[in-house]
Amino acid sequence: MKDQPQVSDKKSAPLMLDIINVKKAFGDLEVLKGIDLQVTRGQIVSIIGSSGSGKSTLLRSINHLETIDSGEIWLDGVRVNQPEMKGMEFERHINSVRQNMGMVFQGFNLFPHLSTLDNIRLAPIKLKGMEKHEATDFCMELLAKVGLQDKADVFPSNLSGGQKQRVAIARALAMQPKVMLFDEATSALDPELVEEVNLVMKQLAREQMTMLIVTHEMSFANEVSDHVLFMDQGVVCEQGPPDQLFSNPKEERTKNFLKKHLQQQ
Amino acid sequence: MDFALMWEITPLLLDAAWITVTISVLSFILGLGVATILVIMRSSAFRIIRWPARIYISVIRGTPFFVQLLIFYYGGSAFGINLEAYTAGLLAIGLNIGAYMSEAIRGSIIAVDKGQNEASRSLGFSRSQTMISIILPQAAGLMIRSLGVLGVIVIKGSSLVSIISVVELTYQSQRIISFTYKPFEVFTVSAAIYLILIYGVISFVDWLYNRYTRYLFH
Amino acid sequence: MNFDFAPVWENMPTLLEGTGYTLFIALFSAVLSLVGGMAVALTTLYGKKIFSYPLRFFIWLFMGTPLLLQLYLLYFGLGQVGILIPALLTGILGLGIHYMAYNADIFRATIISIEKGQTEAARSLGFGRMQTLWFFIVPQAIYRALPQLGNNMILMLKDTSVLSVIGVTELVLNAQFEIANTFRPFEFYISVAVIYYILNLILETSLNRFEKKLESRR
Repeated sequence: MKDQPQVSDKKSAPLMLDIINVKKAFGDLEVLKGIDLQVTRGQIVSIIGSSGSGKSTLLRSINHLETIDSGEIWLDGVRVNQPEMKGMEFERHINSVRQNMGMVFQGFNLFPHLSTLDNIRLAPIKLKGMEKHEATDFCMELLAKVGLQDKADVFPSNLSGGQKQRVAIARALAMQPKVMLFDEATSALDPELVEEVNLVMKQLAREQMTMLIVTHEMSFANEVSDHVLFMDQGVVCEQGPPDQLFSNPKEERTKNFLKKHLQQQ
Repeated sequence: MDFALMWEITPLLLDAAWITVTISVLSFILGLGVATILVIMRSSAFRIIRWPARIYISVIRGTPFFVQLLIFYYGGSAFGINLEAYTAGLLAIGLNIGAYMSEAIRGSIIAVDKGQNEASRSLGFSRSQTMISIILPQAAGLMIRSLGVLGVIVIKGSSLVSIISVVELTYQSQRIISFTYKPFEVFTVSAAIYLILIYGVISFVDWLYNRYTRYLFH
Repeated sequence: MNFDFAPVWENMPTLLEGTGYTLFIALFSAVLSLVGGMAVALTTLYGKKIFSYPLRFFIWLFMGTPLLLQLYLLYFGLGQVGILIPALLTGILGLGIHYMAYNADIFRATIISIEKGQTEAARSLGFGRMQTLWFFIVPQAIYRALPQLGNNMILMLKDTSVLSVIGVTELVLNAQFEIANTFRPFEFYISVAVIYYILNLILETSLNRFEKKLESRR
């Protein structure tokens, strides 16, 4: 069941994310029961599964927003979780690791007291020591990339959900991350606003950004991914290239999940 | 710390605390009366009735209670009135807190959803029937909370009547200090009494609020 | 009835000088109470236990006892341990520390109310714990606390009047000084009330404007 992830054409690319036997429990509830996953540079991996399957917890663990109980997480040759490090030493370590990961949340989590532009450029200025004018130019380019260059001075409360999420993506990109993590980026959006966010993500995919996407949108996952994981009850139940997993699933649980999902839509 | 002294002065301070309690309770009741009148005046259809209430509230809230108290006690002589200290203190607190209470009561009533009023009137209830049986029961929860806060403010504010020589807790503490020269010991005891009174009121208000809202929604 | 406001006019410079002191005290107490309040709130929420527990006790103690009692303790207490500081400084400290407890309580509540997602977003970008507090949590907490902080500043301005009791030169004490010369308590206290009313009005209007301006920026 847990065969090695097979990557079709990007197999030879170097490893970007390496997740080895990761376990995590909330109290008595085991949410991750030994997850393995390898993502190579430029690869786009989608994780699907019902709520409670552990897919969001896995993504949050990679960013260390959740502390895993055991296992290893490596980002581009650097170990993310470091059980031996304590206190300030780990604090410094995790801050620098996180600067190489972009995270996009379901609830946007824009900073309401900062303008759109400040939301994006504060991190490169404060954390990378980028000059203000340089950061401004760079972040305006990012805003243009997500189609919001005219919203630089607007505050988040005046943006639509789709616009907020595009700003959040630009904010994550401003740190020039090695990998982008999307945690149900379109789940909180009205149906008519989903597409504008999907378009931005597709563009990132074309630019060879390494992406790990937790989603409940099967058609999007099918279209954009190189590789799809189906998670159920804390384990990777089935994985493979999207056309195989969606049109010809092997596992009974995968079939049931996909059938249920089709009925809902 | 001189514990013997603290033990010795406790009865004296408890006696004075009783004055704090009575003046607080009486002025709280007076305040409720004043507030009721103000709320009714402010909801009047006539400007000539609404305005005096508004001005009263604005003046009371715009000036320090301490100055109001001094006017009550020392200013009466200009009119040939000399109030006893306790009466002046009681009146000053009650008339002051009444203005704040009227705002609290109005705020609670306004906070009730407008749709409730419309629903009730559309059923054919009159304005006063709507107020008594629909709006007030819903506003009461919020009112308990905000009046409770004002109750605490009354207890704390009552310490200021010590300035016009009402022998309540703060006055008594100060007097004992003036012949024992032990401020820490004396204030430890009187602070403890204030804490019991104030956090007692806060717990009581919480209890009342929980009980009332449970009765309202279950 | 007999009123004579002539002595008030003649002694207006004294009253205005007192007003100046009142504003000076209010300003410095406000700064002390706001900066200190935030420091206390942050320490109680994120600090080590040996600091956070005593400061939580401080908030509880100072919110549960009257201002006047705290002022007496500072006034007599400092004297008892032999620390002599100018009355003006005692006043600023007393008022500032009193409102520090109230502001800390407000800051605590607003910091807690900032959504968890804000911290997660900041941390996921690589901001450290202190940076997250400084750039994201504290500014939003201040913004959310503004109406209540403004309310406390209004109360504090009025409470400067109580400082006259421990001999701090300000508006009321200067008025009392002239009352002793002219025997016109009513006229002087009414004039003092008018001055407070005007100061209060100015403060309230500017706080409202400030809040509106901030709101329109978003």
